[in-house]
Amino acid sequence: MNAPTLFGLCAAALVGVGLYGLIVNPQPLRKILAFNLIGCGVFLLFGAIARRGAAVGMGGDPVPQALLITGIVVAFSATALAVALVLRLFDETGSVTLASDAPAKAQADPPDA
Amino acid sequence: MTTSNLLIAAIGVPLAMLLACIVSGIRERMPSLLALAPIPALVAALCADDTPLVLGNARFALSFAMDKPGAMLLLVAAILWIAAGVYATTELRGAVNAGRFVVCWLMTLTGCIGVFLAADMVGFYFLLAVLSVGASGLVLQGGTAEALRASAIYLGLALIAEAFLLAGLVMLAMVTPDGSLLIRDAAAAIPTSPWRDLTLTLLVVGLGMKAGLVPLHFWMPLAYGAAPIPAAAVMSGAVVKASALALIRFLPFEVGLPDFGLPLAAIGLCGAFYGVAIGITQSRPKLVLAYSSVSQMGFLVAVIGMGLATGDVDTPLAASFYAAHHLLVKGALFLAVGVIATTGRRWLWPMLLPAAILALGIGGLPLTGGALAKLAVKPVLGDGWVELLAILSAIGTTLLMLHFLHRLLASASLDPSMSAPVGWVLSWISMFVAALVAPWMLYSATGIGTWSDALQPAILWAASWPILIGAGLALGLWRWGRYLPRVPEGDIVVMGQPVMRVVVRCAEALERVEGVLRQWPVAGLSLLMLSLILGGMMFNGH
Amino acid sequence: MPHSLSTQDVTSPSGLLLVLAVLVPFIGVLAGMVLGGRGAQRVAFVILAAGLAIAIAIANALVQSGDTVVYILGGWAPPLGVALRADGLAVIMLLAIAVVIGGIGVYARADFGTPPGVREARAPLMFWLLLLAVWGSLNLVFVSGDLFTLYVALELLTFAGVPLVSLGGQPETLRSALRYLLYALFGSVLYLLGAVLLYGAYGTLDILLLAARVHPEPVTWAAAALMTVGLLAKTALFPLHLWLPPAHAGAPAAASAVLSGLVIKGSWFLAVRLWLDVFAGVVTLPSAQMLAALGAAAILVGNIVALRQARLKLLIAYSTVAQIGYLFLMFPLATGLAAAQIDSTAAVNGGMLQAISHATAKAAMFMAAGLIYTTLGHDRIADLRGVARALPMTLVAFALGGASLIGLPPSGGFLAKWLLVSVAITTAQWWWVLVMLVGGLLTSAYVFIVVVRAMAPPSEGWTPRARVPYYQQVAVLALALCSFLLGMAAFCPVDVARIGRAVVPEIGWP
Repeated sequence: MNAPTLFGLCAAALVGVGLYGLIVNPQPLRKILAFNLIGCGVFLLFGAIARRGAAVGMGGDPVPQALLITGIVVAFSATALAVALVLRLFDETGSVTLASDAPAKAQADPPDA
Repeated sequence: MTTSNLLIAAIGVPLAMLLACIVSGIRERMPSLLALAPIPALVAALCADDTPLVLGNARFALSFAMDKPGAMLLLVAAILWIAAGVYATTELRGAVNAGRFVVCWLMTLTGCIGVFLAADMVGFYFLLAVLSVGASGLVLQGGTAEALRASAIYLGLALIAEAFLLAGLVMLAMVTPDGSLLIRDAAAAIPTSPWRDLTLTLLVVGLGMKAGLVPLHFWMPLAYGAAPIPAAAVMSGAVVKASALALIRFLPFEVGLPDFGLPLAAIGLCGAFYGVAIGITQSRPKLVLAYSSVSQMGFLVAVIGMGLATGDVDTPLAASFYAAHHLLVKGALFLAVGVIATTGRRWLWPMLLPAAILALGIGGLPLTGGALAKLAVKPVLGDGWVELLAILSAIGTTLLMLHFLHRLLASASLDPSMSAPVGWVLSWISMFVAALVAPWMLYSATGIGTWSDALQPAILWAASWPILIGAGLALGLWRWGRYLPRVPEGDIVVMGQPVMRVVVRCAEALERVEGVLRQWPVAGLSLLMLSLILGGMMFNGH
Repeated sequence: MPHSLSTQDVTSPSGLLLVLAVLVPFIGVLAGMVLGGRGAQRVAFVILAAGLAIAIAIANALVQSGDTVVYILGGWAPPLGVALRADGLAVIMLLAIAVVIGGIGVYARADFGTPPGVREARAPLMFWLLLLAVWGSLNLVFVSGDLFTLYVALELLTFAGVPLVSLGGQPETLRSALRYLLYALFGSVLYLLGAVLLYGAYGTLDILLLAARVHPEPVTWAAAALMTVGLLAKTALFPLHLWLPPAHAGAPAAASAVLSGLVIKGSWFLAVRLWLDVFAGVVTLPSAQMLAALGAAAILVGNIVALRQARLKLLIAYSTVAQIGYLFLMFPLATGLAAAQIDSTAAVNGGMLQAISHATAKAAMFMAAGLIYTTLGHDRIADLRGVARALPMTLVAFALGGASLIGLPPSGGFLAKWLLVSVAITTAQWWWVLVMLVGGLLTSAYVFIVVVRAMAPPSEGWTPRARVPYYQQVAVLALALCSFLLGMAAFCPVDVARIGRAVVPEIGWP
C-alpha cells in the first residue's frame, strides 16, 4: 500500500463520513460542516491522483493541483454563503432549522450547533 | 377570383375578424358582423376547384384544398353559419358579455372552415384544436353551472381525442412515402402500413370521440343542452361534421378491409339504436335533438364502416351527402327550438309545421332531403342484415323525431300572442328553405343520382312505410310514455362520479407520498440510491 | 465526418464573442455594485441589450461558418488549456436565455425599481445584480469546453440563484434558500467527485478529448452516475425536487421566473452535454430509460399534486416539477441508440424545443401570477374572479403559456411532442408516448381550472388593489407569444442544432 492509495482510501472515508452527516443531521450548521468534509475528501482524492499521475521527476501533476485550489475557493465561498444564511435565519427567528413548521420568533435558545 | 384567393379569403376573413377582436372597440361592434364572416367560405364552396393552396417553404408547408365532399359540406356549413350568425346577432343585442361569445364564435368558425379545407396533417390538427377550444368556449357561454361542467367535459374529451389522434397522425406521417404530410397521401399509405390496425384504431377512436360515437358520446347531450341556441346549432351541425369529414378523408376506401369495417359498422349501428333508446326518455327538446345527433352520427359511422369493409369508392360522396343533409336539418331544428320557445299559440303552427317536415325528413320522409340521403347511402350499406337494421333505424328515428315534436309543442310559450324576434324567425325560415332545397340541388349537381331516379313510386313507397310504422310507435309512446325510466342527461357520465371519488382519493394519497419524499433525509437518501442504481444500469447494459 | 482535433483547438474568427458573452454580464455586476441604487438598474438595462446583441452575433457567426465557434483561452490548447466552444445546441440556448432575460428585465422594472426618495434599496439592487450574475453563469455553462469550468459555472449559477429565493427577506424564504443551497451543494460535490474520477482515469477534463478517450469501465460508470445524479439534484428532477416548491412559494414573481425558467436549464443542459458528447459510448439504453422513468414519475406526480394546490404560485411550481420530467424524456430517445444506428437529431431538436418553450412559457406564467397577486392582493385559485376584467392581456398570456405546456399547435410544446413521439414510435418505446399524452391532459386540467376561475365576473363594486403598468403586461404577453409561436421553428431553413455536431464514432465501442 503506497501513499497515494492510502490517501485515496482516507478520502473515501471522509466522503463517507460527510455523506452520513449531510443526510442524517438535521441542523444546518452540521450539514455545512458535513459538506466541507465531503469537499475535503474530494480534494484529497484529487491530490492523490496528482501524486499518482506525476510525470517522471515531478512531485505531482500540476493540473489537478490548480483545479484543487480553485475547488477549495469555491467550497469556501459556498460555506460563506451558507453560514451567512444561517446567521440571518437565526437573527430573524432565533432558531435554525430547515423544517418548515418551526416557530417564528423570539426563542432565546442558542442555535443548535 | 382564383382558387387560392378564394381559399385564403375563406379562412382568412374569420381569422382576421378574430384577431381584430383584440381591440375592444372593434369587439363591441363585432356582434352585428357575425353573419358576414362565413360568406367568403360560401363563395369558395361554390366557385373554387380542387387546386391546393400551399403556404410555406420546401422544408415544411401547410396545405389547403377542396375535394368534392369538402366542397359539399363547406357549402351547407357556410349556410348554417350565416343563418346561425343572424340568430346570434339578434340574441346578443344588449347582452353584457357579448365580446367573449364573439371571440369563441369566430374561433370556432375559423377552426371549422379550416378543418374542412385542411389538406395536410399538421394544419388539420392545429385547426381541429382551435375548433375544440372555441367550441368549448361557446358551451361555456351558456352561463350556468351545467354549462361550466359541460364545457369542462367537452374540452377534456376533445383533448383526449386529440391525444389519440396525434399518436395516429405521427404513425401515419412515418409510413407516408417521401415524408409527405398530405392527408391524401397518408390515407393511401394506410393499407400497406406495418401498423395498419393500430393506426386505424387510433384514428377512429380519436375522430369518433369527437363525432359522438357511442360509448364516448356523453359530451353531446351535456354540451348541446347547456350551450346557447345558435352555438348548439353550429356545434351539432358543423363542428361534429368536421370530425366526420376527417374520418371520411383519412380512411382508405379503395381497399376492402372487412375485419376493420364490419366492427366499425356494428358499433355505429349500436350507437344509432342507443341514441333513440335514450332520446325517447328525455323531455327537454334540446336533449332529444342531442340524442338524435348521437343516433344519426352512429348511422353515418355505420355507413362509413360498411364502405370500408366492402372497399366502396363511392362512400366518401354518399357519406358526405348524408352528413350535409343532417347538418342542415339539425342546425335548423335547433334554431326552431329557440324560436318556438318564444312563440305563443297564435303564431305556433306556421313555425311548427316546417319543423315537423324537417324532423320527419331525418327519418326519410318522401320528397325531403332525408329521403335522398337514405337513397344515396343505400348502395353503400348493401343488402342483407345491414339494410334491415338501417330500416329499423329509420323507424326508430321517426319515433324519436315525433317525440321531439311532441316535446317541442309542449315547450311553446304560454303567452298566446308572443312571437319570436324577427331575426330569429328569419334565420329559422331561411334554414328551413335551405334544408328543403339544397339536398335536391346537391343530389344532381354532385352526380350522386338524378331527380327522376329519386321520384320513382317504388322508392317513394319504400321510404314511406317506415315513417308510418314509426308514427304508430309514437302513438304508443304518447300513451304509455310515462312508464319509461328517467335517464339523466349525459347517461353514462353519472357512472363517472364514483370513479372521480376514487381518483380524488388516489390524488390525496399521492400528495402525501410526495410530501414524505420532500423530507431532507428521504431526499438525501434518494440521491445516493439513484447514483447507485444509475451506475448499476450502466454496468448492466454492457 | 468527425472533426479532427486540430480544428477544434484553434480560435475561430469570432471566438472573442464567446468571452464577451460571459464577461459582459459580470462586468455589469461589478459596475452595478460600484454605482449602486438606480445606477445598477441602468447598467442592467444596458447589459440586457448588449448581451442580446452578442448572442445574435454568435448565432450569426455559427450559421455563417457552419462550424462550432471556438475560443482557446490564453492561446493554450487543451489538455493543458481551457477551450470555450459554442455549437448549435449552445447557441440556441444562448439566444433563448437572452430573450427570456430581456423579458424578465422589462417586467421587473416595475417590481424592482428603486423607490423614489431612496438612494438605494436592498431588494432592487440585489435583484439586478443577481439577474446579471445568473445570466453570466448560464452563458458560461453553455460555452464551456471542459468539465471543471463547468463545475465553476454551476456553482456560480447556484450562488446567484440562492439569494433570489430569499429576496423577500421573510424567515420562511431564508429557510427555503438554505435548503436549496445545501441540496445544490450536495449535487455539485457529487459532480466534482465524478469529474475527479474521470481525470484520474483519463488524464483530461476537456470535453472533446474525453469523448475520444472514454470507454466503458467501472470508473466511467461511477463517474457518469455521480455526475448525472448531482445534476439531477440541481435540476430538481423527481424525487430530488424537495427544494423547488418552497423556493417558489415565497420568492417574488420575477425571481421565480428566473429560477424556474432559467437556472434549472443550466444543469439540464449540462446533463445533455455529458450524455450526448462525453459519455455517448458509455451510457446504455437502460440507464437512459431510468432517467426517463424518473421523468415520467415527475410528470405524473407533479401534475397531480399541482391540481391539488390552492395557491397559484405553488400550482405553477409543481407544474415546473412536471415539465422538468418532459426534459428528461428525451434521453432514451437521443442517447444509447447508437447501437441501432438511429439518428438522434429529431429527439435532440425535440428536447431543445421543449426546453425553450418551457423556459418562455414558465417565465410568462410566473410573471402573470405576479401581476395577478398585485392586482388581487392574493393568489388563491378559488378566488381568482375578476382577473379577466382587470388583466385581460395577462390572462391571455397565461392561457397561451398553458397551451404551449399542454402541447397545442402551433406552440413549441406541440412541435417538441411531435418530434419526440415520432422517435419514440420509431424506436418502439411506446410507453413514453403514453406518458407524454397523459401529461398533456393533466396539464390542460389545471390550466382550464385557472382560466375559468379567472374569467368569472368580479363581485359588485370590486376594484383592483393596485394598477399594474401596461408594459409589464406587454412583456408577459410577448414571452407567452414566443412560446406559443415557437412551433414556427419548423419553417426554419437551417437545422441549427446540428451545426458542429457531426456524429463522432467512439473509440471505445465494441
